[in-house]
Amino acid sequence: MAHNIETAHGADHEYTSTGLNHRKLLMWVFLSSDCLFFGALIATYMVYRGQSLVGPYPNQIIDIPLTTISTFVLLMSSFSMVQALSATIRDDQKGIQFWLLATAAMGAVFIGFQVYEFNAFKNEGLTLGINLFGASFFTLTGFHGAHVTLGIIWLLGLFFVARKGRLGPRTSLDVELMGLYWHFVDIVWIVIFTLVYLIGGFDTGPTLPLAG
Amino acid sequence: MVTSHGEQHTVGHPTFKQYVLVAVILFAITIVEFLMIWEKLGIDWETSTALSKSKIPLLIALSAVKFGIVISFYMHLKFDSLLFTGIFLAGLALAFAAGIALLGIFSGIEGEPREFAKEHAVPFVEEGHEEGITEEHESKTSEVEGSANLQIGVQGNALEFDLSSLSAPAGSEVVLTFDNVSIINQHNWVLVQAGTKDAVSADGAVAGPSNSWVPPDDERVLAQTQLLDPGESEEIRFVLGPGTYQFVCTFPGHNTTMFGDFQVTQPTS
Repeated sequence: MAHNIETAHGADHEYTSTGLNHRKLLMWVFLSSDCLFFGALIATYMVYRGQSLVGPYPNQIIDIPLTTISTFVLLMSSFSMVQALSATIRDDQKGIQFWLLATAAMGAVFIGFQVYEFNAFKNEGLTLGINLFGASFFTLTGFHGAHVTLGIIWLLGLFFVARKGRLGPRTSLDVELMGLYWHFVDIVWIVIFTLVYLIGGFDTGPTLPLAG
Repeated sequence: MVTSHGEQHTVGHPTFKQYVLVAVILFAITIVEFLMIWEKLGIDWETSTALSKSKIPLLIALSAVKFGIVISFYMHLKFDSLLFTGIFLAGLALAFAAGIALLGIFSGIEGEPREFAKEHAVPFVEEGHEEGITEEHESKTSEVEGSANLQIGVQGNALEFDLSSLSAPAGSEVVLTFDNVSIINQHNWVLVQAGTKDAVSADGAVAGPSNSWVPPDDERVLAQTQLLDPGESEEIRFVLGPGTYQFVCTFPGHNTTMFGDFQVTQPTS
């Protein structure tokens, strides 16, 4: 049935040809395009594996245990995001604020880990321009981190909207859209963690000494 | 008519328990993945090897499961209109296809260094000291007329010559002996026009080890030793006009800390 509008806004019943809310459709189209964005960066990283001419090489620098912890944190932030949406639908005002803030906090912890990691790598000699590994690694994980950071800002914005009492069942779509973005950023990280850390983290460079 | 709070979706909605179950599964799969690579942790990078290829499909499959349950349940795609699924999968499939095509054109999915990298990649040696700290060394001059005998070595395994400055009289044959006293590094000693050490080193990196990391037939290079293995020495001879020159080791990456000035002074009559 084409016109059964799926919207939580009680007031709007705008016409659609699909029966689906425009903003939600737009978010899914955006996420689909973001797949292409990250797909390009991930493919580039994969193509450049093993091609660096100078070090540091991945196995000398990648810290899997540390990144596993930050991965856990990000995964759990998806759980708290889902709780925030649940609270919104239930009209649990305290819950909305708590879970939004918890999600933002966990995202911030993830970014904290990443800032620490970038800094440590820089001190060990891996920079954006030193070799192909540095270039592809920092570009990929840097853009992901930027996505997370924007998400945190968005979450905080929603938190303040919630404090004004403006989030609730009638405006739950706002929180739902936030959730879609946040979960997407999480699943991109799942892909990056597997390819760059679990698999690529053991890539070696040439061993000493180099034959003269 | 105003729809009140409650179901905003036409069909289904995961329960709190299901959300928790998804979180537990995500957590558990990540632990399994970590355990799969557990044995490779803590191995010295000098002796470590790439991840065995047999583990890769399983790691990818586990991550695909995590990917799938987050999308289906947390992002609610399982319960929503198929159009959303179609839109998202279209983008994902396109990205996947483009990625595979790119890999197919250039490589395949190994992490082994490919031909060019195999021949030209250099090992990474961690610096033995912090960058930016320079120590003052005495400069050496020879008072012997007619020729100058100079000797220069390396500061152990650090990427530094043991002298930061050399000097010789103009017009006299300079006999320079370079001792690579390090245990693990290859080095050379290259005399270049002042201010060109980094540019020559960059060109040297392209020239490769077969050229001792020095660009052949380059006007900026006035004298050079061959690339010396640890423990080797070489004596070279050259004559120069007065002026200030630089010497540098052009082994890739060494030029930032292994260099110095070479003053050629007007001979005292």
